[in-house]
Amino acid sequence: MQNNVLRLSWQVYLMAEDSNRDTLPGMGPLQEALRALLPRTKEELKLDLSENVHRSVLILLQQATNLFYEGRRSECLQTTEALLDYSWEKLNTGVWRDVDKDWRRVYSFSCLLKTMCLCETPGDATTVAAALKVCDMGLLMGAAILGDILSKVAAILQTHLLSGKRPAQGPAQEQPGIKKARNGHTSIPDTRSEEAVPRLHCPSLQYFRKHYLVPQRPVILEGVADHWPCMKKWSLEYIQEIAGCRTVPVEVGSRYTDEDWSQRLMTVNEFISRYILNEPKDIGYLAQHQLFDQIPELKQDIGVPDYCCLGDGEEEEITINAWFGPPGTVSPLHQDPQQNFLVQVLGRKYIRLYSPQESEALYPHDTHLLHNTSQVGPSMTFQLLPHPTPFLESRQMASLAFFRSTWRILTWRSSPGLLRPHSCPASCLLEKSCSSRLNIGIMCKPWT
Amino acid sequence: MAEERRGSWFGFGFCGFGQALGSGRGRQVTSPEPLRAAGTDAEVCSVSASWSYTAFLSRERSGPIPPGPAPTCPRLLLSWLPAPAGAGQVQLSGSARGAAEGCRDAWASETLLVVLRDGRGPGAGAELQAWAPGSALCGEPLWAQTVVPEAQREDREDGEGDGTRARPLPLLPGARAYVSPLSPLYRPLAPELRARRLELGTEHALLLDEAGQVYSWGGGRHGQLGHGTLEAEPEPRLLEALQGLPMAEVAAGGWHSVCVSETGDVYTWGWNESGQLALPTRSLAEDRETVTGETTGLSGHGPGVTGTTGDEGGAPASCIALQPFPALLDLPLGSDAVKASCGSRHTAVVTSKYGQLGHGDTTSRDWPCRVEYFVDKQLQAVAVSCGPWNTYVYAVQRETS
Repeated sequence: MQNNVLRLSWQVYLMAEDSNRDTLPGMGPLQEALRALLPRTKEELKLDLSENVHRSVLILLQQATNLFYEGRRSECLQTTEALLDYSWEKLNTGVWRDVDKDWRRVYSFSCLLKTMCLCETPGDATTVAAALKVCDMGLLMGAAILGDILSKVAAILQTHLLSGKRPAQGPAQEQPGIKKARNGHTSIPDTRSEEAVPRLHCPSLQYFRKHYLVPQRPVILEGVADHWPCMKKWSLEYIQEIAGCRTVPVEVGSRYTDEDWSQRLMTVNEFISRYILNEPKDIGYLAQHQLFDQIPELKQDIGVPDYCCLGDGEEEEITINAWFGPPGTVSPLHQDPQQNFLVQVLGRKYIRLYSPQESEALYPHDTHLLHNTSQVGPSMTFQLLPHPTPFLESRQMASLAFFRSTWRILTWRSSPGLLRPHSCPASCLLEKSCSSRLNIGIMCKPWT
Repeated sequence: MAEERRGSWFGFGFCGFGQALGSGRGRQVTSPEPLRAAGTDAEVCSVSASWSYTAFLSRERSGPIPPGPAPTCPRLLLSWLPAPAGAGQVQLSGSARGAAEGCRDAWASETLLVVLRDGRGPGAGAELQAWAPGSALCGEPLWAQTVVPEAQREDREDGEGDGTRARPLPLLPGARAYVSPLSPLYRPLAPELRARRLELGTEHALLLDEAGQVYSWGGGRHGQLGHGTLEAEPEPRLLEALQGLPMAEVAAGGWHSVCVSETGDVYTWGWNESGQLALPTRSLAEDRETVTGETTGLSGHGPGVTGTTGDEGGAPASCIALQPFPALLDLPLGSDAVKASCGSRHTAVVTSKYGQLGHGDTTSRDWPCRVEYFVDKQLQAVAVSCGPWNTYVYAVQRETS
């Protein structure tokens, strides 16, 4: 008799445990992999937040966590939606760099719970793609939480999506759509050799520092990035395969000084299909985005030039941005507050620099947002500015261009190439500020 | 015969913290529901809603309704109804609870609850108190200041006649200063401004003066200041676009602004990301694009966003993200507006015939849409007060003639 009772209660216990873990029929490897990332108990899933976060928000966070561990998925989704909207409002209040990091962490946490809820029930690829989008929003707008858990979630979701996908269609280079530049033929001025930026082959750190870094002179360093895997591996096809389903910010509009310039979020696949291939109607540019933090798989293909260690800051403070766009666009003359190393991976870019002495003649905008940008367009500079000092034409791949913050930069794409300042107009959803001293730009574009 | 034409409050929107909003069931109420006020003898006379809690100010039920036909225009109606006199009770509902007596006015925000109370002791001036919402109005306020008696006297001379609160919070009695939820709490105003009403958005402030002119200052990154730029303004600056047009009401939302002229015109400006300016917005246009072939239940009132040209890339060119200048609104059926209030990302306007918002679903709308509930129940909206994510409406039964 005793044994029966024991066995019965053991069976009951097992069933209770199962329902706690919400094991639905068909709970596949995806759900298990995601659950494994979370702590076992709700008490362990906690954020330490300052008192800047309202008491009411802490209440909702607790409620959402409880609901999730109790398996009350739809209620949890409702609560996290409120948290997402409220923290989103905080993220849109004031200047981006002044937004309290805790609000960004609340936002990330809400994205995490929402992603988990969306993946709880076995769903099709659309559901998983939607979950990945939410996850990406947390990575783009939020701040790292719980050991950078969102990156791990993204990796799992991406693997799951790719395993069900066919390989990317068609080789990139043969696409007829990209041959026709939107603005038609853009003429490029001749570069006279005496005005070109000097080129050196792998100078020593000391030489570089003494002759270029300290005196603030631009230079092209050849041979530095030859061995980077991206030089051989990167193509449209490859990018689509590795990062196609990830959501990224895209700048739409000819130039950021235009009134109809805006920033939108879309997947890399959507960006390529809408703004690179298929004769795009608008200019769209994946610009100045820390893509390699978001997608570590791509980071493995690039290196960091040794010269960056000559900067004042720590290595962690080096910001790596990606630029990815179609041919035929022009960036207005502007100034970056940091030194830059620029590597052109695919395509060609024409860059013109003006020395600090020319600032007077460059007519900066008088608004706060655009005070680092000249009002003078590229075609006018030839007539107005008497001493256009060194040109830089980055035709060759794997050259590293260096220019310091005090030089003005004008870029002109015959093929791809656009250099952005680090502060964008406030109407963007994602205005970011870099705090590092050195800033590496990587460009990847298709050939025309 | 004189019908009981007392009004009552209705609420709809977000109530995820259990703040009183009609039945308070669930996390949101999508259609207006009558508010249940605690305490049967008290009448709720004003509502100030923050995100997670609402403050209700109620007073003793006022005297009998005067005989004769009631005016139909809401502005006159409000003054015709007997105004409750004296101080009343503030009650909190939602994430913050508690009540306090002897209050004349209350203003709710997430970080601070500001209350204007009768002074303690005879002949004492009113006292302004700032409380932490979680304190349940017990213990000591975070900050308190006596209101200068001259200021109080000025107020009584100016405002009492029409029955509306003369200078509601966050504007302080005497209009020499206002209170802010962020430090510094007490902010002086230049007396030349002659402020009649002041409204605070997330990053900006709007001021309406005695002559009906509008001033704005603060952050301007979304065009909410209305001066035509995205620049911030450190000091109150006159809205030149509206100069010479006397305004009756102003309202500030999260990142947008609304004002109503004395002739009943509505002007909106600022951020339009959810259609809160009642102008077409790209996000909703794109949503409509994806709903192929389905009538989206638009009433004939809207400006009629016509079907897009099938351009999969762009939204219609007329979509507006930021409006840095005031834009004149076309209300349906040529209605005149009387009052306006703004939430974080929504706007509510009371017209002389209808009240707006609360359509029984959670879809955003970027055109003015009438709240049918009030029409169906023969109610006439008289006043509106928006919390960040909800709306409270004071409405009166129509006379059945």
